[in-house]
Amino acid sequence: MTRAPSVLARTFTTPLLLIALLAAIAVLFFLFGSGAQQRFVVEMLIRVVLVVGIWIFVGNSGIISFGHVGFMCLAAYATAWLTIPPMLKQISLRGLPDFLLTNQFPFWPSAFAAALLPAIFALIIGPILMRLAGIAASIATFAMLAVINTVYSNWSSVTGGTSSIVGIPTHTTLWVALGFSAVAIVIAWLYAISRSGLALRAARDEPIAAQASGVNIERERLIAFVLSAFVCGAAGVLYAHFLGIITPDAFFLTATFVALSMLVVGGMYSLSGAVIGVVVISTIIQILRWLERGVPLGDVTVALPNGSQQIAIGAVMIMILLFRPAGLMGNRELRLSFRRGPQPAPDREVRGKPE
Amino acid sequence: MSLLAVENLVVRYGQLTALRGVSLHVEEGETLFVTGPNGAGKSTLLKAIAGVVRPAEGRIRLAGADITGNAPETTARLGFSMVPEGRQVFPELTIEENLWLGVGIRRNRAAAAADLDHIYAVFPMLRERRHAAAGILSGGQQQMLVIARALMTAPRLVAIDEPSLGLAPKIIDQVYELLMRLRAERQLTLLIVEQSSTRALMTGGRLVLLRSGQIVLEGACDALDGATLERAYFGYDGPAEVTAS
Amino acid sequence: MTATLQILFDALSLGSLYALGALGIALIFGVMRLVNFAHGDYIAFSVFVLLWPTTEAVSILLLGQLPPILLIPVVIAIGALLSMASEVTVFRRLREANPATMMIASFALGFVIKHALLMAYSSRPKSISILPGLAQQVEVMGARIPLLQVVTILATIVILLALTAFLKRTRFGLEMRAAAQDFTMARMLGVKANRVILLAFAISGALAGAIGLVVVVQTGTADINMGLSVMLVAFIATVIGGLGSLYGAVVAGFLIGGASVLMQVILPLEARPFRDAFVYALVIAVLIWRPQGLFAPRSSRQRV
Repeated sequence: MTRAPSVLARTFTTPLLLIALLAAIAVLFFLFGSGAQQRFVVEMLIRVVLVVGIWIFVGNSGIISFGHVGFMCLAAYATAWLTIPPMLKQISLRGLPDFLLTNQFPFWPSAFAAALLPAIFALIIGPILMRLAGIAASIATFAMLAVINTVYSNWSSVTGGTSSIVGIPTHTTLWVALGFSAVAIVIAWLYAISRSGLALRAARDEPIAAQASGVNIERERLIAFVLSAFVCGAAGVLYAHFLGIITPDAFFLTATFVALSMLVVGGMYSLSGAVIGVVVISTIIQILRWLERGVPLGDVTVALPNGSQQIAIGAVMIMILLFRPAGLMGNRELRLSFRRGPQPAPDREVRGKPE
Repeated sequence: MSLLAVENLVVRYGQLTALRGVSLHVEEGETLFVTGPNGAGKSTLLKAIAGVVRPAEGRIRLAGADITGNAPETTARLGFSMVPEGRQVFPELTIEENLWLGVGIRRNRAAAAADLDHIYAVFPMLRERRHAAAGILSGGQQQMLVIARALMTAPRLVAIDEPSLGLAPKIIDQVYELLMRLRAERQLTLLIVEQSSTRALMTGGRLVLLRSGQIVLEGACDALDGATLERAYFGYDGPAEVTAS
Repeated sequence: MTATLQILFDALSLGSLYALGALGIALIFGVMRLVNFAHGDYIAFSVFVLLWPTTEAVSILLLGQLPPILLIPVVIAIGALLSMASEVTVFRRLREANPATMMIASFALGFVIKHALLMAYSSRPKSISILPGLAQQVEVMGARIPLLQVVTILATIVILLALTAFLKRTRFGLEMRAAAQDFTMARMLGVKANRVILLAFAISGALAGAIGLVVVVQTGTADINMGLSVMLVAFIATVIGGLGSLYGAVVAGFLIGGASVLMQVILPLEARPFRDAFVYALVIAVLIWRPQGLFAPRSSRQRV
């Protein structure tokens, strides 16, 4: 299949637009935001990496996964083992093998190796899980998450158990987080337009027809699963090096549901939906936090009652789903309008693409 | 006033238009066959009447009442009983429970019990196995069960989607034989969808031929000849020209 | 012998909780293909209404002051009402949406309920003592068994029998079973969708209330997350039992309860903290062995 250049240009519009959007937010907050606000943007970008990672599997295969935060957990602990100063490790993580216990590795190779760990794990467990479909597969991924969480919560000699691991060097700056999310978006997009991605989406929409035309569903699912484990692992690495402190419970149900909510609210079948979902929900969360802290109006400070922030987030999510059951993007990708000639329109327009 | 009147019905599935302005009517006591090739929109027509599919345009009236866009249960309660394609018995329920399910919308339980007796008289096989799960029945038996179940609602109009689908010719004969017996004994008004017109010509009544979402031929079964039907069915003479009614 | 009996009672009473939870999830899944993640929060809610809303550490009984004869039905009714309210306000509008959307909406709803409770009661677990009579032990064939366990098991048996009778013998039950197998066909026979679904939510919520009562008597504390673990296991039991099969959900609930208790006993001491990991690994194994669940109804197999 040959592609005309214009098609190629159009093909890459979506990831470029998404990256541009994130970069614009990052630059804006870098120039005008306070330190706290910049931290908010970093948190958002970490979630972008995670949700995009989940999307690679969920969006293309149509199987809801509850397990991907577990991949984040594996990578976060792995990077902690690699990068915490040996002195600290010898106090709190005495069960680690010697070469980890006595060495401290630099950030970039550690980050890569740590993200590779969940990918390898996915490659091992994937062939079993990928035989399942639909809700049974979802439950199996949940069981996987529960296994990971139980092991990491109780294997105290190498994970510190339920107490937190401290002393992870902080490397996750605004720009590192932006770079990771850009790479994640590119990986996700390349996978989506690859043979495997197309085959997997075909199998998602028409399983019988796809199988009849020679699509090996289990194999394509496995490829997506491993790739998404890697990207989710990268999110775990970012997270660990952002906070400098991790606990197993940070990678359990709440994180899972928050990530899935962002994906579904954005629109789970499009990459733009994954990114927009994170941006919109994160922004709403931030605005509500800000309102809860209080807004000065003349002489008085108006504040939402304590704790109402979460209630409002839940309510907003329900409202979005009631009015847009297919998510904000409605399974469409963000792209420029090419209809009115070759010149890009000055304002961005959301246009439908039949999947 | 017709028992069922469909006016200018349009149904779309996304980009695809399944029905493009279909109008038809069914009179009290008559049998109307809707035939046509695969994908002509026959099942869609029944689903739209039953309220399973929402039409984009047009009106559907049942005994004068507008039922366009009603919920399926509302339409069922007004006397439209649907036997969908593929013999949808409730496999885990017993045969008697399947039959009894349709009675929920009736006030007169004594009459319902009498109907059950009548149905058991017509289908002795159902009585014999009435406490068995419906899922164990053969295809032909399931077809008879769903027809019997539709009758238990005391309908004014019974719509049956492809009663012969996937059945052996001998079994199809049996199904139709029983259907015709019930039609005579209970003065049923029937709307039957079939892919082939042969059965309609054998059974009598009126026939409507649907192709690509439009009615291309309409007439009384005994007034239609095979050649005209065939031309309209396959569309040799181009669409919508052969209207022989 | 007495040790075996104790293990048996442990397994049965834990299994009872899981079975009731699984039943609540399976009922709703059956009629509307919704995996209701708010279920755990229904459990917590029906317990917290026993207390005065206050963020102080003290706990003052509100509905908890009622005599048991009123207390039990009131808590169950509150669970049912909350569940019905969530159907009317949220899920009814999402019936056409895909399962993922419904599931996330249920999670969001649970989030709202949970944080409303947090606002009113703070996150501190509160000690609460109701039906203190159940704390004593009884002797069953030489083994000392907490009375609560016996009552839990008996109550579960009664509930299961009553529900079976309801499903088998009444018109509503027939309609619900039909709707669980083929909703559209049931509607075409005049079964009212809203009524059946509302009823399923009511029963499911009532079961949540019952679970809440058992858990609170057992632990003596009201904790915001008290429903979570029961709900998660119940959710798994529903799938293992075969989605859409109420019977399967109940059996799977008991099986998981039994497996958990058994693992606790047979695992070597150093492996015991990892018990849940073994249980969940077992879950994966069962799913691989029977992807449709242990008791998949014929209807679900046809559909796939």
